[in-house]
Amino acid sequence: MDLTALFQFLEETPLALAIKEGDSAFPWLESVHVLAIVLVVGTIAIVDLRLIGYASHRRGARQLIIELLPYTWAAFLAAVITGTLLFISNAVRYSENPLFLIKMGLLVAAGINMAVFHLGAYRKIAEWDDMLPPPLSARISGASSLSLWILVVIAGRWIGFV
Amino acid sequence: MTMQGFGAWLYETPVSTFIRDEIWIIPSVQSIHILAIAIVVGSALVSDLRIAGILATDTMPNVVIRRYLRWMWISLGVLLITGLIMAVGEPDRVLGNATFWIKMLLVAVACVITWLFRRPLLDPDFELEHAKWRPLVKPAAWLSLGIWIGVIFCGRWIAYTV
Repeated sequence: MDLTALFQFLEETPLALAIKEGDSAFPWLESVHVLAIVLVVGTIAIVDLRLIGYASHRRGARQLIIELLPYTWAAFLAAVITGTLLFISNAVRYSENPLFLIKMGLLVAAGINMAVFHLGAYRKIAEWDDMLPPPLSARISGASSLSLWILVVIAGRWIGFV
Repeated sequence: MTMQGFGAWLYETPVSTFIRDEIWIIPSVQSIHILAIAIVVGSALVSDLRIAGILATDTMPNVVIRRYLRWMWISLGVLLITGLIMAVGEPDRVLGNATFWIKMLLVAVACVITWLFRRPLLDPDFELEHAKWRPLVKPAAWLSLGIWIGVIFCGRWIAYTV
């Protein structure tokens, strides 16, 4: 499948053209995207720091994860929607931008890291819920997650500079 | 000396020229700026959700607020430093820009509200139920969060209103 043809098609849709040629659509989408990502990273950082071993506002890791993750997911959804709209406005050029590709790779890596945690250490969270620091695998998951999301933000900012 | 004159003078200084000439400085400083925003807004969100009685209601408000207020002030310091570097490097971009000054005003207002309303809440002896201005606490918390969101939007729009 020729992806470039797909991206060409996407950026010629009425929606994409409206975003690209509109006066303020792009900046507004960018602003909502920034707000969404700061909420994703901000809430994930609280959980990741707890997994690494820094207490947050509560000691129990499980309750922390349960109470914060809905906000993380809601913000992530907003980030994906705004990100997609931003992308289609210039799909071909973004698809050829190395920083954009790196950012997408980092997002996949972050997702895999999250899945590994949820299928692994999280399954036994009742055993280590109150432990500070938690078991090594949880600490590695937290550190990896935080590092990956920081890199996602950096890659995202550099997209506009290359 | 006018703002324009000051900006022109600043633009010619060695430090300003250095920041612009080393092309990695501004994107890197911007990335740190965004990550610090994530800490401020993430902290503000969790604190406000606690004050509003939505999240972590099994934890005392002063415990939640104390945990995040320290992160907020440190991150605000990082934001001011990175912001200063960006302003010194590109004075033409910000000094004559109304959006930038509106953003600075909003930052000041949010800081004042945070200081006024959250600091008393830190005192475990503070009886929130008996405080005369108790009805103002929740609205003030949401207002400060709204102002931080406004700051984010202004921050993105600076680039579009030069």
